[in-house]
Amino acid sequence: MLSIKKLKVSIENNLILKGLNLDINQGEVHAIMGPNGSGKSTLASVIAGNENYKVESGSISFYGKNINDFSPDERAMMGIFLAFQYPVEIPGVSTINFIKTALNRIREFNKKKPLDAVNFLKTMKKKMNLVKIDRDLLSRSINEGFSGGEKKRNEIFQMAMLEPKLSILDETDSGLDIDALKIVSNGVNKLRTKDNSTIVVTHYQRLLDYIVPDYVHVLIDGKIVKSGSKNLAIELENKGYDWL
Amino acid sequence: MFKSGSLIFDDKKIKDFINKESNPFLKKSRNNFLKKLGEKKFNIKEEYKYTPLKQSIEKNFNLRFEIEKSISSTTEKKILSHIINDNNVYQIITLDGKIIKKFSNIPSKISFKNFDELDKKEKSLLHNHFGENDDSDDDIFSALNGVLWSKGLFVYIKKNQVIDRPIIVNNFYTSEKNIFSSQLRKFIFMEKNSKLSICEFDYSLISNNFNSNVTEIILEERSELDYFKIQNDSNNSTSFNSTNIKQKKNSISNTFTFSFSGDIIRNNLNISLIDENCYCNMYGIYALNNKSHVDNHTSVDHIQKNSISNEHYKGIMNGHSNGVFNGKIFVRKEAQKTNAFQSNNNIILSDDAKINTKPQLEIWADDVKCSHGCTTGQLDEKAIFYLQSRGINKDKAVSILINAFFDEIIQKINQNIVKDKINEILSTKIESYLNER
Ligand SMILES: Nc1ncnc2c1ncn2[C@@H]1O[C@H](COP(=O)(O)OP(=O)(O)OP(=O)(O)O)[C@@H](O)[C@H]1O
Ligand SMILES: [Mg+2]
Repeated sequence: MLSIKKLKVSIENNLILKGLNLDINQGEVHAIMGPNGSGKSTLASVIAGNENYKVESGSISFYGKNINDFSPDERAMMGIFLAFQYPVEIPGVSTINFIKTALNRIREFNKKKPLDAVNFLKTMKKKMNLVKIDRDLLSRSINEGFSGGEKKRNEIFQMAMLEPKLSILDETDSGLDIDALKIVSNGVNKLRTKDNSTIVVTHYQRLLDYIVPDYVHVLIDGKIVKSGSKNLAIELENKGYDWL
Repeated sequence: MFKSGSLIFDDKKIKDFINKESNPFLKKSRNNFLKKLGEKKFNIKEEYKYTPLKQSIEKNFNLRFEIEKSISSTTEKKILSHIINDNNVYQIITLDGKIIKKFSNIPSKISFKNFDELDKKEKSLLHNHFGENDDSDDDIFSALNGVLWSKGLFVYIKKNQVIDRPIIVNNFYTSEKNIFSSQLRKFIFMEKNSKLSICEFDYSLISNNFNSNVTEIILEERSELDYFKIQNDSNNSTSFNSTNIKQKKNSISNTFTFSFSGDIIRNNLNISLIDENCYCNMYGIYALNNKSHVDNHTSVDHIQKNSISNEHYKGIMNGHSNGVFNGKIFVRKEAQKTNAFQSNNNIILSDDAKINTKPQLEIWADDVKCSHGCTTGQLDEKAIFYLQSRGINKDKAVSILINAFFDEIIQKINQNIVKDKINEILSTKIESYLNER
């Protein structure tokens, strides 16, 4: 589904990703771990199409199509979703209206009819239940004044609404309390199908007890230096990154 | 030749014009303004620091005055195209200040007339207050308007009267640069407990129109006025406006100034809270492109205690446009327990657009709550990416963010018809921004 080849990415003339390879098939969960500043969020942003980063060389393909030149919205419509490490606050834009606009854009792209108000609300209720998010929160401006945990929950709620093919969860666990972590992981697991895939970026093996990965990759200094099974995460938890 | 500041006029033409005034009181008043114009040292350099007068008007005025024109059929057509078809509003059409009765629907409970139509009582009301409440001591164009105004509009609402529907006033202007026939003088008097909503749209029917508006408003106890001004003139007009409000005890004023286009626009808004427990809201939106230049100079003067002033102006500038915001707050010694808030936020969309913003606070009382803040920035790239990452394209994302930026102020518009109109103008504006990207 996703195939990244020899990807080099820079920002403001600093090379951050230095020839990264990654292949993800349908239905798989991949965990990416690595020290602070190693380039995990950069990778997540670049897959989502953030134009502040410059792809120097290499390619990103999605369902066999090179998407290097695709805008973030085109990628989103194709089914790529990024749950931000730091979700952005947007005063003056109601969360519900925003999600409705987004959802109908994506439906339109997939040649589906837009949801009317009634059906939108129905879907929304179902998904709200899944991630246990409050209606009050959604009637406010996007993330404005949300607590750290509320922002993360809102990301997963949006993911539930938009039903992406590839979800990238960038440190969705940080800032969540234990209960919220379970709820959010449970939500993510329920949304899993044999067709969609997930990338989880995390520092903590604990999350991987709930969202069990098929593969774990270690990203250091812009490259994936080791890949393995779930056990690799346990090893990292015990030994840190120095031995790699 | 007659000189004032750096402006030069033909003496004789002015005198001839004044001599044509048939109302002896107003003739005297015009002469008083002329005296002021000659004697005062207007500080044009400071007051018009960021507004390039040279471009907008010639310094050597070739004064010409035109007699009222009859309305041609093309003019009539243009006028009719702007009329709002809605039974929930009153509507008044003026052409260079003259009320066009056949297109106007004036509420019967108030008097809304030209100065030359006033009855005896109305005349004495006008004569008692005319010229006492404007900013002609400080602003040369207000003084100039005092001498040369071509038409007067008089609005008077009696005590306890409430006009439930907004009054839309469409002002059409026809005069060219040096012709002084779009110089309006307005007088609004609201008696105790009265309530009124006025919404003015300015349109010029000719390119390079030069108009000025000096408005004096008196709000008696517990009266409440909503006053909207919408400047969306595609015809490169130059417009000087001075709105002066004097508020008595427990009165409320809500002013909204919307500027969308025009060549040079200057808006002075001066509010004097002369009594206790007054409340004024001053809101403004400017959304500019091309070479539009909009200069908002506001002042609020807290003279007595326990009053509240709340000011919020927001602007977006694109192309080579230019914005100026200057907000003065005075809190006099007697004005304890004053609450005064001011904020001005700006977004610059292009490299060549500019904003000059300056708050000015002078506080002599000690027990006051006063705050001010101004910000200037660009659209939030992170927010654009966030919206895009959910499938919303860049243009839509930009338009969502611009709407969100103005939303705070649009929400304050308490007349739906005005709100709809502003949203409509704004969406056209945003489209033009997107086309220019
Ligand atoms: N705008 C920028 N200008 C310069 N350097 C940047 C910029 N954005 C990111 N970087 C650098 O890129 C590197 C990778 O950052 P990134 O956010 O991808 O790390 P990360 O692996 O997600 O770290 P963390 O675990 O702390 O979230 C860091 O060294 C960071 O300082
Ligand atoms: Mg990160």
